[in-house]
Amino acid sequence: MRHLDDYLDKVSNLPPAPRVLTELLTLLGRDDVDSEKIVSIIALDPGLTASVLQLANSALLAAARPAEELSEAVARLGFNQVFQLVAALVGGSGMAPPQPGYGIDSGELWRHSVTVAVAAQLVAEEVGDAPAIVYTAALLHDIGKIVLSETLVQSYAALVADTEQQQLPLIEAERRVLGTDHAEIGGRLLTRWKMPAGVVAAVTYHHAPQEAGTHARLAAHVYVGNMLAHMMGYGCGHVPFAIHGRSEAMRILGLGEESLPKFMIATFEKLGFVEALFGAVSKSKAAKR
Amino acid sequence: MPSPQLVGFEHRVIVGIADLAVTNNRSATLTTYSLGSCLAVAIYDPVIRCGGLLHAMLPDSSIDPVKAAKQPGMFIETGVAALFRAAYQFGAEKMRMRIAVAGGGQIMDNSGFFNIGKRNYEALMALFQKHGLRVAAEQVGGLVNRTVYLNVASGEVRLKVSGQASETVLLCGI
Repeated sequence: MRHLDDYLDKVSNLPPAPRVLTELLTLLGRDDVDSEKIVSIIALDPGLTASVLQLANSALLAAARPAEELSEAVARLGFNQVFQLVAALVGGSGMAPPQPGYGIDSGELWRHSVTVAVAAQLVAEEVGDAPAIVYTAALLHDIGKIVLSETLVQSYAALVADTEQQQLPLIEAERRVLGTDHAEIGGRLLTRWKMPAGVVAAVTYHHAPQEAGTHARLAAHVYVGNMLAHMMGYGCGHVPFAIHGRSEAMRILGLGEESLPKFMIATFEKLGFVEALFGAVSKSKAAKR
Repeated sequence: MPSPQLVGFEHRVIVGIADLAVTNNRSATLTTYSLGSCLAVAIYDPVIRCGGLLHAMLPDSSIDPVKAAKQPGMFIETGVAALFRAAYQFGAEKMRMRIAVAGGGQIMDNSGFFNIGKRNYEALMALFQKHGLRVAAEQVGGLVNRTVYLNVASGEVRLKVSGQASETVLLCGI
């Protein structure tokens, strides 16, 4: 069995540590959000600045007069949406390419991740939990798949056979074949990135939130967001439904059975925003080439 | 110079989530992507060559009646009604309809919390039984995501299953 860090050290297309995301997360966690500071962090990165301006001027939010300054764009979008965009850009870079080891096509992992993040944030707002950290953890929940995909290209057939014939969840099949799984590797990567402990735990336990100890609530948010996205067809890969049902996640958040359809409708209403974000991310990628 | 003729040109009409489309345009292929636990219902009247496709997300409109009035395709019961009504406008007849159903993916869950796929299918079957409708072909449930294509010229329904390279025929054309 390979050591966990071997996977991280040998992978060739790992995204860089999103320092700007950690900084923004810290700023947003304070009671009095300092908008000048937020603008100055974003302004350091020309690509991010262009994307924030583009989103502010997108068809979804189009105002009579286009925003020309970054500060104006930030004011129009609000901190919440700016953070969502920045997180989608920096945390999501590296999620856009196909992940052949999982049968994931180009753009699919990114769309899945952002939909999970948007859905999880809706639930967090509804039950009164801090939305930014929920959004971040949800956005990054499958980041481990980027690390494992290269290895899985070789052993993918065995993995799918395990899930389908033995009705094994994908994560357990990963453990059998690789000795680790995408949640554990993702958590390890985020530790290296110096992400908050809650984000690390929520990603590590996003398939078993009841085991996340003091961070069980955050992990449950990611789990429920993941379910909402999957049910709406925003899953990805070969056997997207090879996941254990964890009713514990619903109990941890105090959600009843009938709340899921309601959150599916609320998430549906936000899909336009997901696509606008996707447009901003794609354009920023094209500009960098 | 005469304008070039587009032979065999196929219009791929995309039916979004919680939406439906009906047409008698024979160059059209009605397509709906990545169903998740949603259900696709394809209907086809071979006599007048009119086809319709629905991508419904949830079993029953009592969850949100206001939404159902605005967007009937979101729910099985209001979506199927709207789908058939639209086909009748083209002169389609209920008893000539060939019906295919796909989707309803389902995670490994015994708790009943995450069984939307199963509930969608049960709601559809109850509705069809009530109206004396039979399903000609179906592929529902399981761990996969499905994409559905309805060829309006022939009535053929094809499926693309996540992780499989090629499409398969769910219901032959006539």
